Amino acid sequence: MGRAGAAVEAIRLRREFRAGKGFRKREPPRTALDGVDLAIDDGELLGLLGPNGAGKTTLVKILATVLLPTSGTARILGRDVVAETAAVRPLLGIVLGGERGLYSRLTARQNLRYWAALYKVPTPVGRMRADALLERVGLAERADEAVERFSQGMKQRLHLARGMIGDPRVLFLDEPTTGMDPVAAREFRSLVAELRGEGRTILLTTHDMAEAEALCDRVALIDHGRLLAVETPRTLSGWVSDFERIDVEGVADAALAGRLAAVPGVADVMATGDGCLRIGVSSREATPAVLQLVVEAGVQCIRTSRPSLEEVYVHVFGDRGLRV
Amino acid sequence: MGLLWRSFVLQLQVVRSNPDYFLGLAVAPLTTVVFVSFVRHAGREDLLAFALLAPALMALWRTSVMASGEIVNEDRGQATMEPTIATPSPYAAVVLGRVLAVTAVGLAGFPVVWLVGRAVLDVDLAVEHPLVFAATLGAGAFAMSGTAVAMAAVFALARSSRIFQQTLTYPFYLLAGVLVPVSYLPFWIRPVSRIVFLSWTADLLRASLSAAPVDRPGLRLAVVVALGLAGLVIGTVVLNRVLDRVRHLGTMTYA
Repeated sequence: MGRAGAAVEAIRLRREFRAGKGFRKREPPRTALDGVDLAIDDGELLGLLGPNGAGKTTLVKILATVLLPTSGTARILGRDVVAETAAVRPLLGIVLGGERGLYSRLTARQNLRYWAALYKVPTPVGRMRADALLERVGLAERADEAVERFSQGMKQRLHLARGMIGDPRVLFLDEPTTGMDPVAAREFRSLVAELRGEGRTILLTTHDMAEAEALCDRVALIDHGRLLAVETPRTLSGWVSDFERIDVEGVADAALAGRLAAVPGVADVMATGDGCLRIGVSSREATPAVLQLVVEAGVQCIRTSRPSLEEVYVHVFGDRGLRV
Repeated sequence: MGLLWRSFVLQLQVVRSNPDYFLGLAVAPLTTVVFVSFVRHAGREDLLAFALLAPALMALWRTSVMASGEIVNEDRGQATMEPTIATPSPYAAVVLGRVLAVTAVGLAGFPVVWLVGRAVLDVDLAVEHPLVFAATLGAGAFAMSGTAVAMAAVFALARSSRIFQQTLTYPFYLLAGVLVPVSYLPFWIRPVSRIVFLSWTADLLRASLSAAPVDRPGLRLAVVVALGLAGLVIGTVVLNRVLDRVRHLGTMTYA
């Protein structure tokens, strides 16, 4: 089942969490990952895209050896994350998003030197590497300041430096730009792009489609613990731009909805209020035909917009029948 | 060794910024006054060594037990446990290095208690066997750290370590004969006392204050070290098992 050249592999990976405790133990377990098959090539940056609770963090934690799978197999550079944990850990760097995950009362430099020791980096090398990373992530001037005084963007950059302190071949970034302002997020992305340029294999989880499009070689879409598709951002972008939503108001013709639904490329027509319709269009060619019909019906209030990511999931994935 | 030292340094840095770790030391002078007053009121000047050593040993125990709980608790609360576990270093070694640092801080209880005894209570006890005294402090500190790793395993499994921390203080002071000699305890409980390293440590420290020759100091020191080593080995095995369990349950970090 393994894929040649894959740096990271997940094969039928499943993870369940017990739902209840004590008397509630008999409640059915909650499935966080449901038979995920995934392969990330050596040197590839793969984005894992999905809404909150989709199973992204669970997958990362299993691959990073901090969570055990209920069933299935996962390998990092050919080594099993469960059976060969000790061999896997030196190969990995992990960056979990959020405010936590650092010793907040210690300085950035103290944090990095400590983590260097945990990765068994010799002390002189660890010192040099910590300094170099602080420079690289733009924290050199604040290196001797307690982390608790850092902004979230600075903490995230320090998280990245911490993830890099062991010079890992494989890096897991779990929603690293969550909570960052747009400028900080852009800087962070350029850092990640540099790391990818160094030939590291990176798994980046995010629910930000722009981030995924900007950085990733391929994007895996996950929801409800199931991998829905693995495509290049270009393909994914095509799905999004082909899908448009047209909202119209003041519809007097009751038969208009039926005529619109019959237009090739119209995914659905939904009444959203008195005299209001929402038309979902799944191909670019359908839009002029839809607009012509609504104008002919005397509608004057027309608005087109891109659907939200969630709507893309529902419509595009549903239309294409993409399943694990 | 590098990992132990770096963990030791990290914990010293943590301790410096968190006065909570000094609570055990902070109450030691007060406890000293109370215990010395008790034995004097009872007219038992012969027990002054007990009254003076007990607060120092209690400070050491309390500081280390608190640290072993806090290290695990803070690592889970600050979400530093997951990235720590994901590194190639064994968590038990990290905990040991960090507890050693706190234990070293806890040893400050001895000079503190001595100073209070001398300056406030006019108690002047001489250390008649300084080598035995120093060796016992070293062995006791190691044994304390090993035992604290075993306790950390329990704390890692518990949702809240605070309750355990509180529970593991006074019963152990009694069991170890820190203030009341083990020979005063009910007969059936004495064998249990003998498997607590603190009882051997307390006996040896008291013996080193007495002018009489210390009976078999080498053997007794070896027992202290062996009990500490046993705690460390058991703690490491149990901690690894517990970590496997929390990896299985997915409860390594508090949400």
